Amino acid sequence: MESNPGTTETRSNLTASDGGQVTAFESLQFTDEIHRLILAPTTINASSFTALVELPPPQAVELLHSPDSTKFIAAKPPNVEDFKGSFRFPSNTSLIEPDARFSVFSGEANNGNENRDSPVSKILNSNLEKAVKSEPAETESAQPLVSDPPVEKRRIKRKGRENKVKGSTKKSKTAVNESSEDAEKLPYVHVRARRGQATDSHSLAERARREKINARMKFLQELVPGCNKISGTALVLDEIINHVQSLQRQVEFLSMRLAAVNPRIDFNLDSVFTSESGSLMDSNFPGLVMPVMWPEVQGDGHRQQYQHQWNSDALQQPVWGREVHNNYITPEKSLLTYDSSANSVTLQANQLKMEL
Amino acid sequence: MNNPHHMNPRSLKSRFTTRFLRALTKIRAQKPISSSSPTEIFRRYRKIKVAADKSMAYSVRSRKTWSRAMLWKLRSRSHRRRPVKTKFRQSVMKNTKTTTTTGEDGVGFGVEASELRELVPGGEAMDLCNLLDETAHYIKCLTTQVQVMKKIADFYSL
Repeated sequence: MESNPGTTETRSNLTASDGGQVTAFESLQFTDEIHRLILAPTTINASSFTALVELPPPQAVELLHSPDSTKFIAAKPPNVEDFKGSFRFPSNTSLIEPDARFSVFSGEANNGNENRDSPVSKILNSNLEKAVKSEPAETESAQPLVSDPPVEKRRIKRKGRENKVKGSTKKSKTAVNESSEDAEKLPYVHVRARRGQATDSHSLAERARREKINARMKFLQELVPGCNKISGTALVLDEIINHVQSLQRQVEFLSMRLAAVNPRIDFNLDSVFTSESGSLMDSNFPGLVMPVMWPEVQGDGHRQQYQHQWNSDALQQPVWGREVHNNYITPEKSLLTYDSSANSVTLQANQLKMEL
Repeated sequence: MNNPHHMNPRSLKSRFTTRFLRALTKIRAQKPISSSSPTEIFRRYRKIKVAADKSMAYSVRSRKTWSRAMLWKLRSRSHRRRPVKTKFRQSVMKNTKTTTTTGEDGVGFGVEASELRELVPGGEAMDLCNLLDETAHYIKCLTTQVQVMKKIADFYSL
């Protein structure tokens, strides 16, 4: 657990120096209570400090506010056996007991003592970061302590107080970074330092960047169908790449289809529009509303002309050995329905818009 | 007669549709009817594809990096024979390259990221974060494009 001996040392020094500020009486009682607290049985839903203490929240806060209260003594008797399984603190109590005791109160202390600059809370706050560093393997129940929503504020306060108390080199770094959830909206990135993570500016910036990237990956996952089930960024990216490729290919095929359909669709205004009107659409577009201004169909001759073209073109179809073929072998009959005037183009545009 | 479902005239879809249809009519007006040889069709296909990309890029204007890159590519392709203004090109490249950060961000999907960069126009000079942004918008635009073109093709080949 003592992975970082350097910090522990500083921490212990700190506690030693700060301990002097606390009155002997307070410290004695407080450590007693904290000790009992640590040894208290953990609840199944140890999702917060209050659950840990197995007291309702206001009581728990009260407990902290008045270190000399005896409320805690009314709590359940400690069961060390239960406790040792989940908490790692007791195993280290010999080495880091003072810090461990204080660190348990980290979350609630800040919440309860926001306005108080009591030396006790300061110790708690100052020890929190250090204790956190020395215990890289976060306990499950400890972790949720700092994941509560109000924790953000605590962290700000804690860091502020840390700076006041310690006045160490860390001060400059931690003072720069404030906690915030919204890394996206603010003009510059506020990063939340979670418990157990380093707080130097580089890793915080890294973390902010990673969070941004993860947010965008999530958005992409929603965008691409079938990506929700996949876990792991590499596979998701593969899916995204496949999707983009398939979309690009679809665009290509559709443009080829449009190009192939083109020759039958004569947009030659002079020849077609003036001579014959092209609204052969009546029967073939039941779903569409026909604008009144379309000229009436005149064209049996028109149809025959297109039929000729169609027959000749059909011979050319086999040249395109592509998927697109299947799409317009049957629609060849649609030649008959083709309308080929500028008028009709705009009308078609309107109709398309209706459809779209 | 009355259209109950009016399209939002400012949406990406409508902008793309109008532009694309205009381009289509222009292309069709150029070629005579009778030409239906494969080469002609191929040439037309090329033009239509370019028109589709161009109209999509124009609908997005310069709001996105990929549209800017695409427009620049199309323009440079059309002006291939003329001497390309190197100053402009250098300034464009400079602007895009200053935003590049180191490739790896520590998470380790460099292979896919480089593939994505090739797919998304203008993706080479973007950092991962922006690349994902651009990809999302690009996917959205591509889907719109496919939808519209499908409708047009169905419409004409009914």
